[in-house]
Amino acid sequence: MLLCAALLRQRYLAARRDWAGRLVYVVAAAAGAVLFACIALMSYAGAAYLRHAHAQALLVSIPAWAFLVYLFTDVFIAFGQALGDLYLAADVPVLLVMPLRTASIVVAKFVAGVVTNEVYVSAFLVPFVLGYLTGAAAAWWSYPLALLGVVVFPALLYAALASVTIVVLRYVRADKAKEVLWLCGAVVPTIFWVVSFWGVARANGDITTLQLPAAPSWLPSTWVGDLVAAGATHDVWPAVGWFAFLLATTVVACPVALAFIARGFLRGYSEAATNPPAVRRRAGHFGRSSALRALVRKDVRTFLRTPQLWFGHITALGFIAYLLVGHRAQTPILPLTVQLAMVQLGFVAMLAGLNPGMTALSLEHAAIWLLRSLPLSAADIVGDKLAVAWGQTAILVCAGGLALCYGYHFDAPHTLAVVVFGLLMAAVSVGCGLAFDATYPSFQWDNPNAINRGIRMVMPFLSSIAVLLACALVLGLARVALHGAAGVLVGLAASALLAAAVVRANVRRALQRVACLEP
Amino acid sequence: MPQVLIEVDRLTKSFGATKAVDGISFEVYAGEIFGFLGPNGAGKTTTIKILTGLLTPTSGRARLGGFDVVRQPLAAKRILGYVPDEPNVYQKLTAVEFLDFVGDAYGMSARQKALRIGELLALFGLDGAAGDLLGSYSHGMKQKVLLCAAFLHDPKIYILDEPTVGLDPRSARLLKTLLREVTARGGAVFMSTHIMEIAQSLCDRVAIINRGRIAAAGSVLELQRLSGERTLEDVFLGLTDGVTGTGMAAAARGPLPETP
Repeated sequence: MLLCAALLRQRYLAARRDWAGRLVYVVAAAAGAVLFACIALMSYAGAAYLRHAHAQALLVSIPAWAFLVYLFTDVFIAFGQALGDLYLAADVPVLLVMPLRTASIVVAKFVAGVVTNEVYVSAFLVPFVLGYLTGAAAAWWSYPLALLGVVVFPALLYAALASVTIVVLRYVRADKAKEVLWLCGAVVPTIFWVVSFWGVARANGDITTLQLPAAPSWLPSTWVGDLVAAGATHDVWPAVGWFAFLLATTVVACPVALAFIARGFLRGYSEAATNPPAVRRRAGHFGRSSALRALVRKDVRTFLRTPQLWFGHITALGFIAYLLVGHRAQTPILPLTVQLAMVQLGFVAMLAGLNPGMTALSLEHAAIWLLRSLPLSAADIVGDKLAVAWGQTAILVCAGGLALCYGYHFDAPHTLAVVVFGLLMAAVSVGCGLAFDATYPSFQWDNPNAINRGIRMVMPFLSSIAVLLACALVLGLARVALHGAAGVLVGLAASALLAAAVVRANVRRALQRVACLEP
Repeated sequence: MPQVLIEVDRLTKSFGATKAVDGISFEVYAGEIFGFLGPNGAGKTTTIKILTGLLTPTSGRARLGGFDVVRQPLAAKRILGYVPDEPNVYQKLTAVEFLDFVGDAYGMSARQKALRIGELLALFGLDGAAGDLLGSYSHGMKQKVLLCAAFLHDPKIYILDEPTVGLDPRSARLLKTLLREVTARGGAVFMSTHIMEIAQSLCDRVAIINRGRIAAAGSVLELQRLSGERTLEDVFLGLTDGVTGTGMAAAARGPLPETP
């Protein structure tokens, strides 16, 4: 217990020390509150609309899928997190040489990992549940029951993921295990999602008969989803039953998983901490390069040799598949237009560009001293970071944009407009991310996927979303005022101007911050 | 009068209310190895970080080869070779790629780079591992790569923060020889170390910093003469509130706790 408390306190202090000023706390708290309110309001509006439209089947099938989306996101994050918390964390060697039982270390680390996931749950699932239950006019008892279920959910999930991690470490070499886990975390949910959602296309589009396909009943996300849905339909005993089942499974599964993890912990740690055998590479030839080219070459090599950095892109590309599948189930509420496709690709580009932008400088890790002590200007450093982050996102946007437009049967000019808009939004999100990263860099991390944990992601995400919404508004207004190609062109030009202004402001901020960076 | 290559004038660096470096001044001349000694937290690394452009001073001035490190940072960095106290490198680059990158940052030609990288890797015994990722290197090997990077563009000024930590005896000897060669060619070396034997045998002059201020500066002989101590270690302990050799022995004589 003492170790648990000490680790949690240390994590809390580390999170606090990441933020230098009181103003940042205020802005971050306000941004978090806005996000919470937005999710709650949208959930409320959606549930209320479906309730008034008597779309009961669709209404009760939503929670299981909402929790499934969260589960997949968490699978993606927590695979890396379990590996990082249990084996790659900087404090594990220190704890292992202390006179502590391995089981105590495992339990403390497990609790700390679950608490981290509870933060995500509070930010995303709690507002959804509150909004959904209110919109569905659920009974009063469903609120505490559903919230308790939501709180229990991450423990079960983390136990399963940590167990899988230790099994993988037993059979797959440590350096490969990291990549295998992250790859599974990204690819398996994407395939599952696309295959499952294909069923929606078979619905006839009548909202009163439409319902999402049944989510897999063996997944804990479905149990929590059914608990929330039972609350919405005032079915008290099914709700109590699902909660009891969830709680009982957690009470049984967590100790079993912890015992299993504790048993294999030392071996797993030894595997994970062992340096991979040296990979010899050809020396190549020496050519003279400018400082900027040398920086770009260095960052591209780092990107290509760090698979964890690709997975954000895999997830973003997964969205293209979701959009194409979703397109088959389009309803007249939101007809497909070039402008809609532009905003869709813009959203994908924004998601894809955020992480590369927000980690561009932090990826220098402990070697940041080198950039500051070499004769490199701030313009070289910022230019390199922009080029590499935007370049990788641009490749994804072009590939995704072409696939999307092919699926939508767009002609070449429309495809070009969609891709150009995607590239603009990629530049916006990379710019927002880079300016934020230059202001609040994080050079102490265990793995690159951990850089953007927590509230760090919220502010650049909201800034980029705001720009995307402004551009969507501009595109919509241009479409209403000027039909056809002229509407697309004017909307695109206005969006380009807006994006250029945002990128310029962010680059200037990044330049100022990099020039006075004190690692 | 030899040329002044490193000039520090009333340099101060504050972190909030704490003054890590408090108005220190010194000069390092061409052809000189200057030792910078001090207990942990005395301000050595902060001073070095200001000289190398990693930190901005709160007040005062520092010049490398006549270039102000704040106003002309790029010019100052071009004539500098730096080895930090921790060998943090890019884990996903090979030694050759890392040195190639550093060479490009200093504007070296392809021919110069090929020649110097091969030469230095062989000298430090890294040619067999030149194609391995730096992430697979040991602490000492990374330290050697950083020494190669510092020597790569043949700078006039070397700033080394604990350069011998992690080095095997052969490499430590090699480093001393290389530093002597640098000073023989008119360069200057500014190094911090905790190893008094190295400071005593290698440095022409030393400065002892304590609580952000220079407690004493001069040649080892001068310091010994002025303080009346026999060794540099005793001078150091006397000036930095340290316990003398006799005091430490007395403190260490207490009984060990019994094992349960």
